[in-house]
Order: sequence, then C-alpha cells, then structure tokens
Amino acid sequence: MVTRKVHLHVGTPKTGTSYLQHVLYHNRRALRRHGITYPADRFDAHFLAALDLMRMPWGGLEAQAIGAWDRLAAEVRRARGDSIISHEILATASRVQIGRALESLGHGHDAEVHLVLSVRDLVRQIPAEWQENVKHRAALSYGAFLDRIQDPRREGRIPTWFWGVQEIPDILDRWGRDLPPGHVHVVTVPPTGGSPELLWKRFVEAFGLDGIDLKLDGERINPSLGSAETTLIRRINRAANEELEPAFYRPLVRELLAHQTLSQRTGTPRLGLPPDVHPWATGLEEAWIEEIRARGYDVIGDLDDLRGAPPAAEYADPDHPDEALVSGAAVDALKAVLLDHARLQRELGHRDAELRDTQQELEKAYLRPTYRWREKLVRRLESGSTGRMLMTAYRRARGRSSRSA
Amino acid sequence: MSRTTSEDAQRAREARAWAWVAHLRDGGTTPWSAWGSDSATDEHSSRYLPGAQQLELLRRLNQLRLPPPELAERVLGTSAPGRGRPDLGLVGVLPESAFGPPPVDPAALPPDELVRVATSLLAEDTVAAGDPLAPRTPRLLRRRYRLFGDPEVANPLRDALAADGRPPGGRRATVVVTGSDLASMLVNVWTARSLGAGVRPWPDWIRAEVRRPRLLGRVDLAALAEAWVPRVGAGRVHVVLDDPRRVVRLAAGRRSVTMPGPLSVDAVELARRTAPVVGTLVAPERRTALMWHRLRPVLAAHPGPRLRVPRRLRPWLDEHTADLRRRLAAGGYAVHGALPEPAERPGETAPDEERVLTLAMQVLLGPPIGTAQAERPAGREAQ
Repeated sequence: MVTRKVHLHVGTPKTGTSYLQHVLYHNRRALRRHGITYPADRFDAHFLAALDLMRMPWGGLEAQAIGAWDRLAAEVRRARGDSIISHEILATASRVQIGRALESLGHGHDAEVHLVLSVRDLVRQIPAEWQENVKHRAALSYGAFLDRIQDPRREGRIPTWFWGVQEIPDILDRWGRDLPPGHVHVVTVPPTGGSPELLWKRFVEAFGLDGIDLKLDGERINPSLGSAETTLIRRINRAANEELEPAFYRPLVRELLAHQTLSQRTGTPRLGLPPDVHPWATGLEEAWIEEIRARGYDVIGDLDDLRGAPPAAEYADPDHPDEALVSGAAVDALKAVLLDHARLQRELGHRDAELRDTQQELEKAYLRPTYRWREKLVRRLESGSTGRMLMTAYRRARGRSSRSA
Repeated sequence: MSRTTSEDAQRAREARAWAWVAHLRDGGTTPWSAWGSDSATDEHSSRYLPGAQQLELLRRLNQLRLPPPELAERVLGTSAPGRGRPDLGLVGVLPESAFGPPPVDPAALPPDELVRVATSLLAEDTVAAGDPLAPRTPRLLRRRYRLFGDPEVANPLRDALAADGRPPGGRRATVVVTGSDLASMLVNVWTARSLGAGVRPWPDWIRAEVRRPRLLGRVDLAALAEAWVPRVGAGRVHVVLDDPRRVVRLAAGRRSVTMPGPLSVDAVELARRTAPVVGTLVAPERRTALMWHRLRPVLAAHPGPRLRVPRRLRPWLDEHTADLRRRLAAGGYAVHGALPEPAERPGETAPDEERVLTLAMQVLLGPPIGTAQAERPAGREAQ
C-alpha cells in the first residue's frame, strides 16, 4: 500500500542543482511543516550518500560517506510524509546500484518513487562539463575533451563520466526502467536570457512545493568561468598538478581561484561550442527530444528548451586564447593568492605566539623539583612488585586508567 | 518488420543471454561469442541482465576453478566501484540504439575492467576479515623511540612494536632513520602508499618524482635525521643503512620481529586498486590497518616479479645517492653502514594487467582473507 512519495532528483549537473539543494537544505523546517522531509544534517549529505551508494572515492570525502546512503534511506522510510533526495552524480549509477537504491527507499512497498531529472541543452552542457573537469584538476585541452566525448567507443575516464551524467535517454532508461512514465518528471532548463524564476517554478511543480513559503536567498554556489579564465586554471593544473596535493587543490584552486576570484570576471567572453562541433551536438539534441517525447514522460517545461542556441558570432577558443585576457586573469589570481597568503601569515604569527607561551608553561612545569621527584618515585615503585601494587591501588583511587606519571 | 515480430526477436535474443547466464552460474566457460543461438531460457535469475564485465569475470573464474555459488552470485550482483565504464550490455542482445554505451563482446574487454569489479569483492572480503588485534596497553618500562625512513622496514616494525606494547614517541626517544638503496626505497614508498591513502600508477608516480626539485621526504634520510637533531640532539639520532636488526635493537633493544614478505609488482598494483574501495567501506585508519594486516599477507603468498625502477633513471639515482651520502656524512649524527648503490635487481617496471586479474581471481577463489590458510608463511626474520 503506497502511503508516501519519494522525489528522487538524480541530475543532471549544471542544471541549477546546487541552488535547488541550497534552498531545500535551508528550508528544511518549512518543508517539514508541510509534511515534506529533506533528510540532511549537512549541506552535502545527499552527495555523500551518492558517493556511498556508488562506492566512489572522492578526494578523501568518501571517508565521511561511509554508510551515508543507508542512513539517508532509513530517514526516508521513517518519514511520515513525502521526501526529497537530490544529487546530480546519482545520474551515473549502475542498474545494480539503482535497484539497491529504489529498494532501500521502499519502492514497491509503501513508497511511490518519482524520478526527477533536470536537463539542459548539450550546446551549453558540453563546455560546462569541460570547465567542471578543469576545476577538478583536468589538464586536457578543450579540443582533446571534445575529441574524447565524440569517440563512439566511449572509453576512458572523461567520456564515461560525461555520458554517464549527461546522456538523458540513457539516464532515464537506467533510473526509470521500473517506474511508470507518469512518475518520471523531466524538468527542462529555460534558454539563456529567460526569466531566472522560471526554472525555480518548474522545480516547484516537479517536487510538489506549490504553496510553501520558501526563502529563496541562496547564493549561486557553482558559478561558471569565462573562456580565458578556464584556460588559466588549466595551465595552473598542468604546472602544479604533480606537486600540489589533492587536499590543497580544492581550497586553493577550485575555491579561492576559480569560484571566489575568476568567476567574478563576468565581462570576458564565455565558453561555447566550436562551430564545427555544433551540428553534432544539435543532432543529438534532436534525437533525444524525439526519444523523450516517445517515452511519454511527464515533461515540466518545454522539450524545445533542449535545442541549443546557434553558434556565437565570435568563438572564444580556450585552446588559442586572447593572451591579454589570460594575463589579466592571472594578475587577479596572483592578487588573490597574495592576499590569502598574507592572511595565513597573520594567522601563523598568532599561532606561533600561542605555541611559544604553551611551551614556556610546559617547560616551567617540567623544571619544578616536585615534578622530577614524582617521576623518580614512580619509576622506582614500578621496578618492584610491591611498588607496582601500590601504584595500581593509587591509580584506582584516582580513578584514571593512564599509566603515565 | 512488424512490432510483434520485432518484440519476439528481442525476447529471443534476451532468452539466449539468460541461458548463457545460467550456463556461467553452473560453472560454464563458453565465451559469449561461441554461445549457441539455439540455447535459450525464459527464466530470469535477476531483475536485469548482469553487465558484460560481471559475466566475463565469472567465466574467467570458472576457467580457473569452480567458484562457490555465493561467490558467483556476488560477482553477478556487483557493479564496478567508482568512476569508469558503466556496466555494459552484451553485443547481439540489445537492439541497435542511439543511446547508452555500445554493447561489447565480453571476451574483448580489457582485463582492467574485470579487475575493477574484482576490487569491489576483494574490498568486501578484506573488511569482512575483521580488524587486526588492538595493540596491547603500552608497557611502562620500554625504550622510547621514533622510527622513520624506508616504509618497508619502518612501518611493519613500528606496527609490531606497538602491538607488543611499545608504541613510538615519548620523551628522550632515540630517533632511528632506516634506509636502503634509493631505488629500493622508492619502490617501497610507492608500495606503502598503494596499501594506504592511495597513489598514482607507478609509471606516472616515478616520472613525477624524478622531476621534483627535491628528493621525496620519506627517502631523504639526511633531511629526516637533520629535522630531529635540534629537537633531541645528534647523540640520539641514528641512521641505519646496514642491517634491519640494528634498527630493532636501537628502537626496542630486544629480540625478533617478523617482517612481512615482499609483494610482487602485480600484488602491489592489485592493492593499489583495492585500497580506495576499502576506503569507501571503512575509515582511513582502519583501511590502512586492514590493507597491511589482512590483504597484504594474502597477496604476499602469491609470488611474482618484483617492481624495479626503470634503468633509464640510473643517472638520476646515482646523482641523488651521491648527494645523500655527502649530506649523511656531514650530519654529525650516527650513521651505521653506508648508503648502498642503487639496486639493479631483476623485476619489471610496470604491472601486467592480465597477471593482476589472475591474482585477483586467485585471491577471490582462495581461502578467506584473514585466515591462516590464505597466508602461506612468507615471513622473514629481522632477527
């Protein structure tokens, strides 16, 4: 007997997912008052659950993900009303993993699973995915990236991930195979230049959030870079990848340089599709639109949104960039690194002073005659059986297990 | 072709595939490409046809030795972990489609794809073997020491001493830096990282290491020793280059410690591939303990060629060996023995994918990880 709905949002990346998750996370109480559970004790809870479901190492984060899917699923099963789960990397899950996920959420028992897939045209998704790769240490050129994703064999890390999270008919086939088409909701992202509220309205419809007063003050969490700025990050990756440890890459390159600094340079040319690749991408878009329409899914928005814009009049090739723009971006990046370094130096100075004070206090304590006398006494006692018994009794009386003096 | 005829044809193709699945479950070894078109069944043993990687791994296991039924089920029900190719369809089953990864002939899959699936099972088995025994409570009367250097000596020795109630650290500790020739130490560091937090493939890693302006910290014995001189005084710092038994004596002043057997290049590669998956199941400190104390002894029981540094790097090794010798001589602390010339040992400069797969299957088919049967005695006594 079905008593509750589970809205399972599995992708795709670069379709406003970070904003959606931000709003859902920060409005958990409001949602709960309306009988909707967004089960998350931290912003990235569903990301961790997805990593756990797919046994996916992710720069050390996987350690925090252990058991996260089962905990998430248990919360969903415990929820009295409807629930929402959202993370875009779920798009790449295998059939076995999807089967496990659906079963753990109560599909086929007391839960009615509604699959949500937000989608955007390939003309925008392809450059966005390359940029995302670059922000994850990739050093390959845009041309090499395009060659790899166009190779029909789809072998290697780049194409398998790209198609795993972007090939809409395949994602829907894997995730929606056990669901009636009416329970599969395809949310289209409006074309560039449209009303920013329109996508949110579509999400509201897909997740059944109509009539709930939600605070929509979320920042744009995953901003995009211009063509020259992406080139700069790629050059930094090539120069520093072998020496910069993964633990430092994320805060320094991805966050400080890409997100906090270079994404602010909004006046530079944006990354697009090369004119010679454009027809291939639009051909795929047409095939996908036809397939989605034929399968009879619930489309929220307009499938025409999946038709990308025509090529830009002037293509800003990131593999042959305007070097003046790259230099400008590099100066901004250097400035950011300098300022951050200065901040850390100040912090280090404070810490050094604290450490010196602590060391002085510790040395004073060691130098006290009573300390040395006690240490000698304990050693002498521990060397004999009677002494050891006395020490044991003393420690018991003191109520501690440590053996140290 | 009418819709009904097309659906019938599709059902027939799927029935043929399901019959092959049943054949593999029964221990069959016929490749998919040789599977007869008249063999078909309507019985579906799971919700979906398993992927080509899973089916081929089971067929390869059947070729090696008949796996227990529960292992066969686990193989068919396990997706490859992490990023990489998704579970692939069998060529000739699904109709031509414009979507999804192209179907494949399972026998044509590279061994690497089958190893991916196997690592998930090996990781589960490693975790199921249980944590190693917790170290005993530290002894009050023990020699205080700190141990650094070649991980192939320092790590197992530190673990063995800690298990015996002699953890490193403490006031007035003797600092012991252990080392061997530079080539062996580089191999040993990569091995240790393969069993731990993870590391790039050997060819990429060694290429990057020789490009660094400075020697890797773990093998820069002089830098390790020099870092401790101001803290404990030169009299308490020892660099041991001649005999691991001296390391034991200096660190613990005592008897014998059993050192783990060496790993083949393929064993280290399999460990490198498995450790990240274990890391998705248990916390990092448990992962390292399980890899060193549960999986490593099993891998050590399977001999094979050892890893070596490529000969083209000999000039780099010679240059850094000379520099290291000079700095060790000028250090002012005790240096026991002399830094050997870079070892010219036999071995291979990269793992072999096919051998890695065979090793993975042997471990899966062998006695359970963590049992004495799985760990054929391969220890060597340090003293």
